[in-house]
Amino acid sequence: MSTTLERPALTSAGKVASSKGDRTLVRGQVRTGWALLTPALLHSGIFIVVPVIAVVVLSLTDYSFGDSFDWVGFTNYTDLFRDPNFLASLWHTVLYAIVVIPISMAISLAVAIGLNQRIRGLGFFRTAFYVPTVTATVAVATIWLWIYNPGSGLANGFLSLFGFAPNQWLADPGTALPSLMLVGIWQGLGTKIIIYLAALQSVSRDLVESAQLDGAGRWQRFANVTWPAIGPVQFFVLITSIVGTFQVFDLVYVMTQGGPGSSTRVLVMDIYQNAFQNLKLGYASAETVIMMIVIAIFIAAGRRLQKADTND
Amino acid sequence: MTSVSLPAVGSAKPPAFRAGRILLYVVLTVGALLMIVPFVWMALTAFKSNGEIAKFSWLPSELRWRNFVEAMQTAPFLRYFRNSLFIAVGETAFTLAVCTTAGYALAKLPIRGGKTLLNYFIVLLMVPFQIILVPLFLIVKSIPLFGGNNILGQGGIGWLNSWWGLIIPLGAAPLFTFLARQFYVSLPDQLAQAARVDGLGEFGIFWRIMTPLVKPALITIAVFQIEAAWNGFLWPLMITTSDEMRPLQLGLAIFSQNPAEIQWPYLMAGTALATLPMIVLFVFAQKRFVEGMANVGIKG
Repeated sequence: MSTTLERPALTSAGKVASSKGDRTLVRGQVRTGWALLTPALLHSGIFIVVPVIAVVVLSLTDYSFGDSFDWVGFTNYTDLFRDPNFLASLWHTVLYAIVVIPISMAISLAVAIGLNQRIRGLGFFRTAFYVPTVTATVAVATIWLWIYNPGSGLANGFLSLFGFAPNQWLADPGTALPSLMLVGIWQGLGTKIIIYLAALQSVSRDLVESAQLDGAGRWQRFANVTWPAIGPVQFFVLITSIVGTFQVFDLVYVMTQGGPGSSTRVLVMDIYQNAFQNLKLGYASAETVIMMIVIAIFIAAGRRLQKADTND
Repeated sequence: MTSVSLPAVGSAKPPAFRAGRILLYVVLTVGALLMIVPFVWMALTAFKSNGEIAKFSWLPSELRWRNFVEAMQTAPFLRYFRNSLFIAVGETAFTLAVCTTAGYALAKLPIRGGKTLLNYFIVLLMVPFQIILVPLFLIVKSIPLFGGNNILGQGGIGWLNSWWGLIIPLGAAPLFTFLARQFYVSLPDQLAQAARVDGLGEFGIFWRIMTPLVKPALITIAVFQIEAAWNGFLWPLMITTSDEMRPLQLGLAIFSQNPAEIQWPYLMAGTALATLPMIVLFVFAQKRFVEGMANVGIKG
């Protein structure tokens, strides 16, 4: 394929084409380039960029599926902070993120380190840990709904083996949210393990071995070589986890519908209900904007932590 | 970690090391079981009789295969299944068409502002779907000249409750454009040059020379998109109104909504139907999943 070519390379846009023929060639490439890009640009423009702008605009109106709407300024926002449903859902979402993210990151990293040893059956372990991740959240939620069944579910059946009294799990406002968190952690491990594993495998073996020769113990090698090397990946996992936990919906929809009471009401659940059951689109949009801001705050805090960590 | 080349460390360690090894296997095995047991429990329940599930037990007294048939009669799981399949195939075809072309253009063609455009897609891939939920619904409802809409997108339901609405908005996510671009970048430019000298047009170079070379990457993208489409829930929940259009996940959720009437063996049979294809896909395409995750995670 690679014949010897005397022509200059024409691949970078900045390069000045030398002859007239080359210039038409480049023009052809540019034209094809735009033709190939247009569908993706149109699609992302219509279905992502416009909606992002629209959600901000809608949040300043009282739009509710009718023909007309009024500008209401920041009324939606001030109303939201007096709305017990919204406040509960905001709190539960933040709590969910604060509990689920550190625990699932720690477990995933530990498992990935385990799988990064020379062990047999790596394929089996990898499959086992990843299967919950490729399974639809609705299916996962349905299975756990049955596991948490107070009458004859697996969770109480298992506890009874050790003589514990049966729990109400999802029916008890005190345990409903933690029960959901457990499922969230369980389902989310797979992705993180695989990302960590890929990162661990790219940590320089030479560096680890030279640290070993210098007499660094297992823990020291981890703290001084491995941990700094996987820093950027930690940050990536953190951000995707933050965004992911703020989107929790399927799990809640199937398992509790936000109940009992409002003990498992989360942001997307509240947005969904305000928009499509109460038909308050403007109000739901304001809620969405607040969710964006909270996610941004979390990410900024995460970056802070990350920076503090690498400065040590 | 064998003690062959490192006598200083190896000689003191073996017994403790061995114990550590065993502990490692025990911990990993227990962990793996915790991941799998819920699925085993699902499968076992799917074979039990309705009377049997009143009390906790592990094994069904007999394997009631007819539960699967009866589940189909209680809810149209088979139709849901077919709808999911249709959506997954449609979204994947659409994604491959739109994202490979855009990815190739970003990677290999001299477009002014190409770098900015790449950044544009990278920024967009971070926009969570839940953020655009409400306006996306309005846009899909106002697609002109569909579903009884006039040219201004008023009067009808647009793409709501249609295959278009189920497939197009969620296809071609910027993530896949970015992934495709990552794969095309690694191809040598000389290949395109040689084809140009031979008189092949630019589109021909994309389609006949470069794209066949990234086939493994296309499979990776397809596997990811199939999974995303198959597992989607919130969007179909919002835009479908008739049972005819509902995908499997939505069917499952509706079936499990009435706690008093849930027939657990049937529900678990339906869940198995929803779960199995993705597990099979994963087992066959394990390498692709890992590759795709690693690509997004590390280069992203």
